[in-house]
Amino acid sequence: MSFLSVNDVTVRFSVGSKFAAWIKREKPPILTAVDGISFDAERGESIGIVGESGCGKSTLAKAITGLVPVASGSISLDGEELSGKRDPALRRRIQMVFQDPSSSLNPSLTVEQMLSELLRVHNIVPRDQIADRCVELMDLVKLRTSLLEARPRRMSGGQRQRVGIARALALEPDVLIADESVAALDVSVQAPILNLLNSLREELDLTLMFISHDLAVVRYVSDRVIVMYLGRAVEDRPTSEMFEDPRHPYTKALMAAAPKFGVKKAPGESALKGEPPSALNLPSGCRFRPRCPLAAEICEQTEPGLTGPSEVQRAACHFAWEDEEISS
Amino acid sequence: MSEHILEVRDLEVSFTAHGQTVTPVDGVSLSVTRGEALGIAGESGSGKSLTLKSIIGLLPPNATVVGDLRYALDDEEPIPYAPADVHGHGISIIFQEPMTALNPTMRVGDLIAEGPRIHHGLDKKAARVKAVDLMRQVGIPTPERRARMWPHQLSGGLRQRVMIAAALSTEPSLLLCDEPTTALDVSIQDQILGLLQELRGSLGMSVVFVSHDLAVLGELCDRLAIMYGGRIVETGPVDEVFADPQHPYTEALMTSVPSFDATAEQLRGIDGRPPDPRAFPPGCRFAPRCQYARDECRSAVHELRDVSAGRTTACIYPELIQGVKR
Repeated sequence: MSFLSVNDVTVRFSVGSKFAAWIKREKPPILTAVDGISFDAERGESIGIVGESGCGKSTLAKAITGLVPVASGSISLDGEELSGKRDPALRRRIQMVFQDPSSSLNPSLTVEQMLSELLRVHNIVPRDQIADRCVELMDLVKLRTSLLEARPRRMSGGQRQRVGIARALALEPDVLIADESVAALDVSVQAPILNLLNSLREELDLTLMFISHDLAVVRYVSDRVIVMYLGRAVEDRPTSEMFEDPRHPYTKALMAAAPKFGVKKAPGESALKGEPPSALNLPSGCRFRPRCPLAAEICEQTEPGLTGPSEVQRAACHFAWEDEEISS
Repeated sequence: MSEHILEVRDLEVSFTAHGQTVTPVDGVSLSVTRGEALGIAGESGSGKSLTLKSIIGLLPPNATVVGDLRYALDDEEPIPYAPADVHGHGISIIFQEPMTALNPTMRVGDLIAEGPRIHHGLDKKAARVKAVDLMRQVGIPTPERRARMWPHQLSGGLRQRVMIAAALSTEPSLLLCDEPTTALDVSIQDQILGLLQELRGSLGMSVVFVSHDLAVLGELCDRLAIMYGGRIVETGPVDEVFADPQHPYTEALMTSVPSFDATAEQLRGIDGRPPDPRAFPPGCRFAPRCQYARDECRSAVHELRDVSAGRTTACIYPELIQGVKR
């Protein structure tokens, strides 16, 4: 049994006006944001999740944290099943760092107030040690202790994001989920935050789930990468193998689309044509088919499963492993 | 015929508030030749967007602009101009966030047609036909139908294409781009860069492209200007700057981003934070964060020196830079 186990998780939202649907005596349309995602993570492992906006990567993170209800499937941590309603002790073990620290921190509280509130409510340390623990947390995320008195407004983007990380770490979680945590930061500040996440993972033996649309960033912090497209995992492989030899045409296209140093763009050329179809109106068979350069008849008829030569090397494309033996 | 289409000399943009004057753009000089794409790179607060907006006069009313701006019409020599006069007559601009830059109360077709109607005196019908043609040109599928839609009905990528079509509607010879791909997904960014590259070729436009992402600038631009603390610190052809940066800030920017092809080595990043325009450090403004800084740097006078043909740097010790291994 692995440490964090996500098993066939599906998240659905009803969209549009419920009233309009009721008038028309129809059911409101249902959007499947996450469609049967499964993966296992060991303690201390770092998993990267990549995809375009709208592919369900943030919804998956929220489902694991318990912020959105799961329609079907199960999530378990350390052998314990996590339901929709979690008690505080269980909730504490999975924490999230959000994208935009300026909107996810309370502007009227000082850093010390934010951290001590968490420590108090969750009874992490005895009351008389709260102040000491705040100082320790600031050390952990490499912030000056004097900033404990500061409010978010006075801090730079990088410092705010460190406070966001300190807040998550205050609850001593086992799993840390970073949802686009460096996307809003300047490039020169991104690197230190990524380095901090890497060192915290080693120091505290955290399981890290790193969500981003930026493949290069994901490569830097992850042992394993899951590529998502319209709610499904299309490729799930160890980082080094995937980047050396991507198997799914979507992964290949994403890699080709990322800007690289010293490569000039050819006029009118693009790696990926068009935009993802609406999740409310999916194409038949493989969801990537309308944009796929390899699309054939079989892709229209059957949706490929996530398979591969081994448990850790999987891709959801009919042509991904043509030159290899498929065991599963 | 002059080679330059745009010349900016000693541009200063300053704001006065509460009795204090801040100068976020402090002596910027640059030039753009015909058909060239110039990239301006820098972090937030470096003054890159203000520089771009002062070219076309889009600064807030409390800004004070000092400097010499020259623009060349057709084949003539660059002459001084008033930024308000070039709207719709030679220079257009596109912005980062198409949802806030497009008027939400106008159908996108009318929005694109507005430029030709106001600036070129086209009648409503002709302008509408032109709008649909432009939408086709920027790769919007079924333009007749989409022209009747509102901005909120379009996806981010299509909105950005609408903004490009609106910018092209007045047939500019210089297109200013203020981080137009930053808010987009990689795949859509890739499409927009391809489109801009194509339009540059087919229309012979010059482009000034502002971004914080060096790799994006490298894909589109011929020449780079790196900005830090309101000043240009390095200029040169893209390939040469990437191969052999002559300013420590350029080098630091390049080693801050995880790359695709390099093996995972520790990313360096840059210590400290970008300088506050209210209190720029004396001498070289990058010195407090620079790993090579020496005492002389803190009193050095800012001056762009020639390094080789077409390359300049403001660093007084460019020979100390170890270079980027990629």
